[in-house]
Amino acid sequence: MDAFVLGAGKTRFGPSSHPMTRLAHEAIMGALSDADMRIEEIGAFVVANFLGGPNESQLHLNSVIAGLFPGMHIPGWRVEAACASGGVAVHQAVTMLGAYDPILVVGVERLSGRPGNELTRNIGMAGDVILDQAQGLNFPATYALVAQRHMQRYGTTTRDFEIVSLKNHANAQLNPLAHFHHKKVAQADIDAGATVASPLRLFDCCPVSDGAAAVIISSKPRDERSVPIIGSGVGTDVISLAQREDHTSFAAAREAARVAYGQAGISAKDIDLVEVHDCFTIAEVVAMEDLGLAEPGAAVELIRAGETGIGGSMPVNPSGGLKAGGHAIGATGVGQVYEATKQLRGEAGKRQVEGARIAVTHNVGGVGGTCAVQVLGRLS
Amino acid sequence: MITRRCPSCERRYSYAIDECTFCRVPLEENETRAGDVVAVTEVSVPSLGHEEVPYWCALVARPQGGYAVVKRDVPTSVGEHVSFGGAEETAAYTLGVVGSGVMARGLVELFLTRGQKVIWVGRSLDRLAASRDKVADRLARVMDEEQLSAALSRLDLSDEIDAFSACDLVLEAVVEEVEPKLAILKQIEAVVRPGCIIATNTSSLPLDVLASALDDATRFGGMHFFNPPTRMRLVELVRAPMTSDATDHFIHELSVSLGKIPVRVANGPGFVVNRVLMPLLNEAVRALEDGAAPASDIDEAVRLGLNHPMGPLALADLIGLDVVVSIMEDLHTRLGDEAYAPRPMLGKLVAEGKLGRKTGSGFYDYTPPPAP
Repeated sequence: MDAFVLGAGKTRFGPSSHPMTRLAHEAIMGALSDADMRIEEIGAFVVANFLGGPNESQLHLNSVIAGLFPGMHIPGWRVEAACASGGVAVHQAVTMLGAYDPILVVGVERLSGRPGNELTRNIGMAGDVILDQAQGLNFPATYALVAQRHMQRYGTTTRDFEIVSLKNHANAQLNPLAHFHHKKVAQADIDAGATVASPLRLFDCCPVSDGAAAVIISSKPRDERSVPIIGSGVGTDVISLAQREDHTSFAAAREAARVAYGQAGISAKDIDLVEVHDCFTIAEVVAMEDLGLAEPGAAVELIRAGETGIGGSMPVNPSGGLKAGGHAIGATGVGQVYEATKQLRGEAGKRQVEGARIAVTHNVGGVGGTCAVQVLGRLS
Repeated sequence: MITRRCPSCERRYSYAIDECTFCRVPLEENETRAGDVVAVTEVSVPSLGHEEVPYWCALVARPQGGYAVVKRDVPTSVGEHVSFGGAEETAAYTLGVVGSGVMARGLVELFLTRGQKVIWVGRSLDRLAASRDKVADRLARVMDEEQLSAALSRLDLSDEIDAFSACDLVLEAVVEEVEPKLAILKQIEAVVRPGCIIATNTSSLPLDVLASALDDATRFGGMHFFNPPTRMRLVELVRAPMTSDATDHFIHELSVSLGKIPVRVANGPGFVVNRVLMPLLNEAVRALEDGAAPASDIDEAVRLGLNHPMGPLALADLIGLDVVVSIMEDLHTRLGDEAYAPRPMLGKLVAEGKLGRKTGSGFYDYTPPPAP
């Protein structure tokens, strides 16, 4: 596969007064500057967004984004795959490089400013309207059931979830673009967190963020800072837990990883860091197992041993992940590719994973109805 | 809940499709009404459409394979056997309702929505039929044609009290006065089978007084629903002095199965809600008399400051000022507290025939604006 990230840009994730257009513009200008390119060189663009319709009454987002480069008239479209919109958009750009080159991918989302119960309902649109939504199965509740099943099956404990949360909050303090960059989270904060959907409590849940991220992808490297994408896969599955036999692992994620690892010619032991979709702490545990970083049920051994920290043997979410880095839904998967790019170039500052050569991103829609996995870097 | 299964490849589908996508053969329908809970989460975060928390989401294993997510109003445990999947499947009881007011109509609607069989007795079959049409209109907002016709097939109307002979429970919701209630309770007891529970929806009358109408008062208890009963989740459960534990238990379980949250209250004046509410309404009227603020501002302040869905003066208009005055006078007499003595402005409005919404004016004017 010949695909390279030429440039990457990202806004801070977190509450913002800026509209989607301004957030997207900031990320796009960041990616252009990072690649040392001009917008006129772009051949096509893909917009990733989940809730522009229900939250902002704004659809037809490719045309809205075209307004950021008036007069260009290049092809562009929007991708919606719930929280996996960003990773799927990157995959789509990679697979379209024969037709357009280079391609700009921009993910953008606004989640602040809506009443909480309305936002919870809207995010719940990632679940089946009859099987899940009508039964009150909002997203915390969905992942709470996954957590209950994982705890029953493997003896995973809420203490394991707390370790994930503390680790990701510590990482976010090293990431100036993280939602909780300025918030120090201690055990006492976690202990004081209210139950959201048992067993998940406040600090098991990611925040909802505003933000944007952009990457420019081409079949040809531009300079030595261009980062190869050596594998990209997307898997899908039935949307509801009610339709599945296995509630502790996502088949879509395993399939996306199988395809991406196969293209890249890697196995899990070659990976130096992962950015995974930890919308809830349990999701990080499941992600590690689906990506083959641990056998089913064994991710907690790495977590308990501290191996998933930035200095550990298998760093997970050095950015702070969704949990503490923030979740600007449509931007999240693109932001993961931004983070992998920074890490592989050695530009990640205080959160740098030393000597990282292979990074994997893992972006999930719903409760594993969609998953996109990308492998970036060079084996040798 | 219906799933479809391919007889050839055994794949399961959750959607209303006719043939297997792979084998192109017709699918078999499996209808599941119950199963065992394999995981459950207590949900504490509200969302649009699911405002009341906590509730419980159970992952239930279907006997034919596969799972269902089931919302529950009550604490639920792993291993529990639960039934689900719509109204018809919970039709456990035959419930009698007597009365033809707004409250009786709301109760019939609630019972039908929750899959119960209902026998509705009133003085005039014509009036009952008209009331049934109103219930049908309400149900049609939340049911498709098939569900609506199934619901209405569970409803029988009668102008003869004998119709209650098959009931598991009869709930009286006739006018809120002692003599008519005593008379109807006596008639009910004369026709129901042994073991049938008799309940009253009274909002204020003492249960011991009403119980005197019955030979067997152990089967008698209070179920005070709130208007509209399909939406309001509270039921005040009131024990009469002779109410048996079995009766109390039945009424409690029935309330839960109707999706309500029962609260047991003593057989005292105004139970809990009216006892707490009336001084609030009265004080709002006094604030208006004293010129604290105009009516709409008093309501706005209470709504926003106390997070009430409706201001006290608008609520008084909704209840009916004559009803408010009668409840206050009763509580004033029984509790001897001046906080319950109706304020002069209430008496004045009632004397002028301004009883609130039902007469088109009260604290507010409800007459529709003239056509343009």
